[in-house]
Amino acid sequence: MNTTVDRPSAGVAVLGLDGELDASNYRELIERGQALYAEGARRLILDLSRLTYMSSSGIVALHSLALVFRGQQPPDPEAGWSAFHAVSSDAAGGEAVDQVRLVAPAPSIAANLARTGLDRILPIFPDLEAALAA
Amino acid sequence: MADASTLEITADVERLKDVRRFVRERAPALGADEASVGDLVQAVDEWVTNVILHGYRGSPGPIEIELAREGEEVVVRVRDEAPAFDPAAAPAFDPGLPLERRPLGKMGLHLIRELCDRFEYRIPAGGGNEIELGRSARGPKLNGGSA
Repeated sequence: MNTTVDRPSAGVAVLGLDGELDASNYRELIERGQALYAEGARRLILDLSRLTYMSSSGIVALHSLALVFRGQQPPDPEAGWSAFHAVSSDAAGGEAVDQVRLVAPAPSIAANLARTGLDRILPIFPDLEAALAA
Repeated sequence: MADASTLEITADVERLKDVRRFVRERAPALGADEASVGDLVQAVDEWVTNVILHGYRGSPGPIEIELAREGEEVVVRVRDEAPAFDPAAAPAFDPGLPLERRPLGKMGLHLIRELCDRFEYRIPAGGGNEIELGRSARGPKLNGGSA
């Protein structure tokens, strides 16, 4: 998977994903997002229009980035089955996470976002212009 | 059984793309349509990822993936020699949970059940794990997976 970064303003980062996102590269995506947050980005727009495949490891990466952009430290996703407990916080209350926005996922990827309920947490936009304007 | 083909890999996340390519190339030859191929590619990727990350825990070990056409189904069997892990023993994933109360994982098994008609698990006589996935070769999947 190749990534591109665009910074249309100081607080906004657009991260474009090109290729396949799986267990071999999802940690790189988390680290890329953490670096952008550390550089001052407070809104992350993930352009998925050129992403051809995403496994549940990619869903874990999106989940982790949502936590990062809410100012939280995500748990280590590879700590084993014992670490797969609920992250303890009552802060969310079920609201959407507007700090991370998804753009133009392929139908198969959108279907998996729906199957895992992530489409109810992270807003999905049809194109980059809409994600930047909202 | 007819037209079976097999891929053997050593557990390594860098081999996942080869696993997906194997299913993408062989499943159509067994009569799988585009929807069936896509579901099987993802389901196999999810299970093999679990074996690599949580079965072998980063150590090398053999994984065998067998693809066959049996009746109306494309059937995938995945065998490994990692410590036994029964997916039925894992807590169910609830896609309705809000962000901060969601487990960071477990979605792979949930997706396999969503994508396949059958999801069966057994411990082979010599140990390790074997799963059998069944997905109707054509059209939408017909039943819910179980294991």
